[in-house]
Amino acid sequence: MGTQASHATGAGNSTDANVILFQVAGKSFAVDLTQVERIIDYREPTKTPRRPPHVDGVLEHQGRYVPVVNLRKRLGVSDMGPAHPAVLLIAGAGPDPVVGLVVDQVLRVLSLPADGVLAPPPKVFGIRAEYIRGVANAGGRPLVWLDVTKLLTTADAITLLA
Amino acid sequence: MESRTLVRRPGRGRVEAPVAREQVLLFRVGEGLYGIGIRGLWEVLAPEGITSLPTPPYQVCTALAYRGQRLPLLRLCALFGTSANSVPAGARVLLTQGHGRPLGLLVDEVLGVVDVDTRRIAPMPAQASELTPEFFRGLVSREDKVIILVNEDGLGTMAEVVQFSAT
Repeated sequence: MGTQASHATGAGNSTDANVILFQVAGKSFAVDLTQVERIIDYREPTKTPRRPPHVDGVLEHQGRYVPVVNLRKRLGVSDMGPAHPAVLLIAGAGPDPVVGLVVDQVLRVLSLPADGVLAPPPKVFGIRAEYIRGVANAGGRPLVWLDVTKLLTTADAITLLA
Repeated sequence: MESRTLVRRPGRGRVEAPVAREQVLLFRVGEGLYGIGIRGLWEVLAPEGITSLPTPPYQVCTALAYRGQRLPLLRLCALFGTSANSVPAGARVLLTQGHGRPLGLLVDEVLGVVDVDTRRIAPMPAQASELTPEFFRGLVSREDKVIILVNEDGLGTMAEVVQFSAT
């Protein structure tokens, strides 16, 4: 899948990276654990006017209003997804202090060894490398470690391949 | 209509943090629940006197005939991107002032007046809407519902309104 991505695990050091492993449209993805403030159950968000196509609305969580980004929609998946998805509250990844990222299912926290993370090829599942911090093997299946800040701060269309 | 009250608990000399309450007119546009402070509200009108629209559904600003005047009227359904090919039966015009200009806001339905705690008004998240943030005063919750507060002064700065007022 490419060369070893030492930069992906933290500025060239050799420490393991802790990530949250989750699924969207049958594929395995991860985000940096340090960016995930909390995981909450999905509630129907309040629809906001003229929201971007991948934004479901806003949720109130403990007195804060959090924009809800649907990762299925951000990745160009047209299917509705599960009835009870999960929401990762992501901190420090965009113009808002916290963003809710809707994913199909959260699996577990995973420790990725530095030598187990590879630099991505130009595209993985149709996602360009600029949105990916690295690629790893999780139980024999490819795992895409997303650059969630990049995903949330650009509007370029992405089409997840089946 | 904003009131600030100092809360003093019985038997205690200590003064608690001030409570800031404001009355807000609730209204609906599409599926959305919105509010506007009643301080700046002049009248709530039935939508008569709206210049018949040879306008496409997406046109935001049209004309309202009011006491011999011709005022700009913002069709919030068009601004907010909800589908509305005709004026709903329960529609109302909220007559207010935006940035010093008389301004009508056409809404789908007026729901009533509620008190909100102004300390709990939070800004609209940047990623929640592609509209300019100045159109919104913020978000506030009441009885598990999120109210989107519009900012009439921000709406009054819309290019369409400025252009209308200049003609």
